[in-house]
Amino acid sequence: MALPLPPGLTPAEVAFLCEMEMVTVVPRQQLKSHDLLGGPTPALRPPHRAPLPLWLALLLKRQRRANIVPPPWLLRSSLERILKEETEISPTAFSRPPPHPHAISAIPSATDHKSPPFLASSTADAPSGHLPYHWLELGEILLQACSDDVSEPDKVRTLLRDLREVRMAKMRSITKHLEGGGVVSLEGVGAMEVAEGRQFVVGVMDGLRKLGASREAERRRREEEGGSGDGNSEDDDMEMEME
Amino acid sequence: MSYYDIDSILTDAQKVPCTFELDVPSLGYLDNNPGHTLKSSTRVDLPLWLAEMLAVSGASSKTLVTLDLPPSLAPRVMNALKADPKSVDIRALAQHFYGLGARILELFEEEEVCDVLMESWRVRAAEISDHASNAGQGQRGGGGVGAGDGVEFLRGLDEGERGLFRAQHDSSKAMRVWMGEVKKG
Repeated sequence: MALPLPPGLTPAEVAFLCEMEMVTVVPRQQLKSHDLLGGPTPALRPPHRAPLPLWLALLLKRQRRANIVPPPWLLRSSLERILKEETEISPTAFSRPPPHPHAISAIPSATDHKSPPFLASSTADAPSGHLPYHWLELGEILLQACSDDVSEPDKVRTLLRDLREVRMAKMRSITKHLEGGGVVSLEGVGAMEVAEGRQFVVGVMDGLRKLGASREAERRRREEEGGSGDGNSEDDDMEMEME
Repeated sequence: MSYYDIDSILTDAQKVPCTFELDVPSLGYLDNNPGHTLKSSTRVDLPLWLAEMLAVSGASSKTLVTLDLPPSLAPRVMNALKADPKSVDIRALAQHFYGLGARILELFEEEEVCDVLMESWRVRAAEISDHASNAGQGQRGGGGVGAGDGVEFLRGLDEGERGLFRAQHDSSKAMRVWMGEVKKG
């Protein structure tokens, strides 16, 4: 193997991408607007909340110049609701991701293709009761960096652990329903979970594909011949009628 | 399957039983009878790559050898796999069991073997994943989980399944390492 790293992203890379997510901060000091590659940041004036990228918010938090407002889904009530949905209401499916903030209509628009981290799914006005794409890593990072801003951090940490366990078990049971070349819905699965499960699931799929390859080829061949075969039977019928 | 893929080379090197259909002069050493003619209808184990060439490449209607199902894919094994895929020591049957199975399925039309192999791959994969994600955690807890009941099962994995185990173990380990780093800050 030329590359020491497996295909896909490592957890550290996923966490790095997650730092692009926007979070809401309550500044403690004034800070003028900065021109970043992703656009200018809003000027910070102490009592007013402002959206900032996670990495900048973490920096300011470390310097005690801002507090981070945890997203609504990272509250105890919201996480308990999601956990209940995962375990009791639909024990086989993943809970649904947050709804797309720009309603998708029949008329295509530029916002249709926006996906995390370009959607603000973790700011203070994000919907609660849904796990966004970067839930696992964002939750871990926030609990680590600003557990004083999160209410009931220990309870939230336990709930996140529980959710992770439940969803990992689901991820593993996916392989039981896989068919060779089958399609599995991964709606609602987070970035970190994809990164963790990718190698194994791809390996299982590949093995099934190899075992089924000869059968697949056989079916293809039969389908191609199928057209002429039908024609023959029709001919036979015709002959029967003739007689 | 790349030309230099060591696993596919080893898969092709596995022996399959063949029956010679023709007399071959001075090939008797294959049957512990050097210097003599290899009689027709002698059963010899040949590597898969050679056996396939000899069996398929017959220019005339008569081929040089006929292939048989290898003992690792015999009905007895298939029944055992059907009864309980997790209890079969696949490694003892063939090091590249699934690879051999896939190659044999290209040559024989065995719908049932195909079904059984796919089902056992799927069932055993789920079991492997459970073992792989728990293996490291037990060690971190300081306990010697190595003596657990899974050892027997893990010893019976073929090369493909070992690859799966490694993949799953590596990714859950990378995950734990990252979580540990987050805690350190």
